Amino acid sequence: MSEWLNQAITQAQGVSDWLSPKRDLALSALADVRWPTRKTEAWKYTSLRPVEKFSKTAPASFSKASSLTQIDGFECLDLVFENGQFVTDLAELTLPEGLSIQLASQADSAKQADVLSKFSSIKPERHVFGLLNDALVQDVLVIEVADNVSVAPALRLTSILSLAAQAHTRVLVVLGEHAKLTVSEHYQGNEESLNTGFVEYEIGADARLEHYRFALQTGKAVSLGGSHFQLAERADLNSTLVGFGSDLSRVDVDMVHAGENAFAKMNAFYLLDGKELFDLHATVEHAVPHGTTEENIRIIAADQAKAVFNGRIHIHRDAQKTLAELNNRNLLMSNKAEINTKPELEIYADDVRCAHGATVAEIDKKALYYMQSRGISRAKAQVMLNFGFINELIDQMPNQELAEWLRPQMREKFSQMEVK
Amino acid sequence: MTDQIDKALEREYEAGFVSDVESDTFEPGLDENVIRRISTMKNEPEWMLEARLKAFKVWQEMEEPDWAHVDYEKIDFQAISYFSAPKSMKDKPKSLDEVDPELIRTYEKLGIPLIEQQMLAGVAVDAVFDSVSVVTTFREKLSEAGVIFCPISEAIQNHPELVKKYLGSVVPTKDNYYAALNCAVFTDGSFVYIPKGTRCPMELSTYFRINEQNTGQFERTLIIADEGSHVSYLEGCTAPQRDENQLHAAVVELVALDDAEIKYSTVQNWYPGDENGKGGIYNFVTKRGICHTNAKISWTQVETGSAVTWKYPSCVLKGDNSVGEFYSVALTRGAQQADTGTKMIHLGKNTKSTIISKGISAGRSNNSYRGLVRMNPGADGARNFTQCDSLLIGDQCGAHTFPYVESRNPSAIVEHEATTSKVSDDQMFLCQQRGLDPEKAVSMIVNGFCKEVFKELPMEFAVEAGKLLEISLEGSVG
Repeated sequence: MSEWLNQAITQAQGVSDWLSPKRDLALSALADVRWPTRKTEAWKYTSLRPVEKFSKTAPASFSKASSLTQIDGFECLDLVFENGQFVTDLAELTLPEGLSIQLASQADSAKQADVLSKFSSIKPERHVFGLLNDALVQDVLVIEVADNVSVAPALRLTSILSLAAQAHTRVLVVLGEHAKLTVSEHYQGNEESLNTGFVEYEIGADARLEHYRFALQTGKAVSLGGSHFQLAERADLNSTLVGFGSDLSRVDVDMVHAGENAFAKMNAFYLLDGKELFDLHATVEHAVPHGTTEENIRIIAADQAKAVFNGRIHIHRDAQKTLAELNNRNLLMSNKAEINTKPELEIYADDVRCAHGATVAEIDKKALYYMQSRGISRAKAQVMLNFGFINELIDQMPNQELAEWLRPQMREKFSQMEVK
Repeated sequence: MTDQIDKALEREYEAGFVSDVESDTFEPGLDENVIRRISTMKNEPEWMLEARLKAFKVWQEMEEPDWAHVDYEKIDFQAISYFSAPKSMKDKPKSLDEVDPELIRTYEKLGIPLIEQQMLAGVAVDAVFDSVSVVTTFREKLSEAGVIFCPISEAIQNHPELVKKYLGSVVPTKDNYYAALNCAVFTDGSFVYIPKGTRCPMELSTYFRINEQNTGQFERTLIIADEGSHVSYLEGCTAPQRDENQLHAAVVELVALDDAEIKYSTVQNWYPGDENGKGGIYNFVTKRGICHTNAKISWTQVETGSAVTWKYPSCVLKGDNSVGEFYSVALTRGAQQADTGTKMIHLGKNTKSTIISKGISAGRSNNSYRGLVRMNPGADGARNFTQCDSLLIGDQCGAHTFPYVESRNPSAIVEHEATTSKVSDDQMFLCQQRGLDPEKAVSMIVNGFCKEVFKELPMEFAVEAGKLLEISLEGSVG
């Protein structure tokens, strides 16, 4: 492990507060964890050099203006972390009835006990940076939606980092029965920095969560985090994950079917250029019968970029009548880039229908030829085809404002890819 | 129905007899002396002993791998005997008449055509019994064509230049834990050399059988197909029923030089252990072939035996336009565990590979496909197609798929698809409606499921494989 990590852990050891029981557990687990290397299966393709190299100095301060992205027509409540500190003044927010947002450190002890019981119950233990987050977080932002409440405005969680900052954020979202909520997680910054950001979602029976994670750090920002979902009976999850690469970006997504007849859908796409790396590990646990999962993952890797995808579907014994499908399509744009994909099935029940497919190729030459024969330049045709490949998933985003905001960014990214 | 299932599940392992053949067996244990003794017994030249001792050092420094999706008690390498030769083999037989009749009966029970049937089948057999190659038939006819087919121990004596050049060239000593062990202690195996432009006049075949208790079998096979040649090689395996686990750690190396073609077929029926997973063979095998320009290697395997299987027949597609194929049927039942698949490493331009894997799990078994397809930056225009389908019979078994796809060349196309399902109710209904009993129906459906692979097997093996599956599946219908 690196110097700063050891320091951070030593510091965490001295802290005593309401989170201590969980922190101590994580610290003792960390003591037994072997630092991942290329031989560790979950980090086979992803080098941790940027984490090891990271040296923490005093973080630069923020200029307020640059902070939040404008998204036209997107109605939302903003919850902002700056360098890991929660800076939104909750008293100033007018919350719709049935929605409560608070920091666990400021809640009463009964609430804290409740948060403690849920803390890391959804996020799996195996992830070394998840454990690190457990050990280093100072507070938990708790968002709760009461039973039968539909929250109209979306919640936007933004995590911004300045130069040389490190941040460890933790959010717990609980949806009651028949509740409805939209959460959009935004991670941004391109300066040399390091963050671990984990969000745990407990989705109640018949509840519906619309979820986005925009992992848009670029440049030297090192980002390690995850979104973890637990679905009760008939819960409905629609999640979209968008990634730009950086020196090291890794996202872990876990979807656990804990109640029968739940439905989980995840669309993910990432576009990588330069020497960027993006690594997505998505795990679906079907612990009960009659669950349905749909996953679509599309990747474009250009220049010297490296894309990693691991999609695991685990069907437990007795999880009969499960339907699970994973579709992974990848475009490789250069022979210095690489795509490593590993869709996995682990199945212990017989009456299930599971399938996965993965392809890696370049843009269809016939399509390119067709467009050129219609007078479109090769470069432009390439951008159009790339865009079309990703746009199929953007079209499926339930929130049109977010889709509209994303499209031009994608276009720009594609035209940049072309210049090289 | 349940009675039927129970009865069929109790079905005994048909190759589980022990042959009463006197044998010379080393005391269990492994150190440099054991390796020296093996080498001396085999009357090996100095360079071979040195290679063995070097491999032993490498092995001692390696760790046993634990990434496979299998669970078994750690192997005590000191409790294994590393050499066992049937005693009557001391003076090697000059012809079939001199072979111990008990041995011949063993093979007859296994149904391998060693004598007359062989003529009809046109199969030349190199039978490996425990650690020693018993007899190689049809050698004369083969040598007329210039084909060398002999035990590898003989090849070390008679063809050292070929062995030195190619042994370890495809699977290096350090490749993996069991390969290193094999390099140190291998006792026998087959050696095949097909000269330039020759089409081997008959199918070559090896039959492996572990007979002695507490022995491991470490055979080493090396097949060299020189430019423009063609060979089809068959391999079959069985072992008697024992309560202890026995280790089988073989290494097979194939070298297909320019324009050559090697077809390697395996029917593996090692003793799988009893219903509770007691006993059975640990089958930890390294098989790999290298294809030079325009060459082709095709692996076909039907895996029904072994308590634990850990096996990935692979192709390194080094030359331009070379072709690799992998066709596999793996059936597990009882408490069997199989982690098997292939690796296709595309290095040359326009290389092509096809992977068809069919996994069938029944009982409480676990069956995993683990495969790697790698397109290196130089593999322009390379193409891979992978299909792995799993069939589950019963709700206590597991079927898993772990495909690795690594692409570094944009003009290469990789396609992977996998499905998992049970025998569909509709199909069963249709068959039963036509008057088939459920058992026959399942057998028919499974046969259809495996058809793509069976059609790749040579005739005799296809029949055997079909029969093996049918027997193994008896009563698995729920």
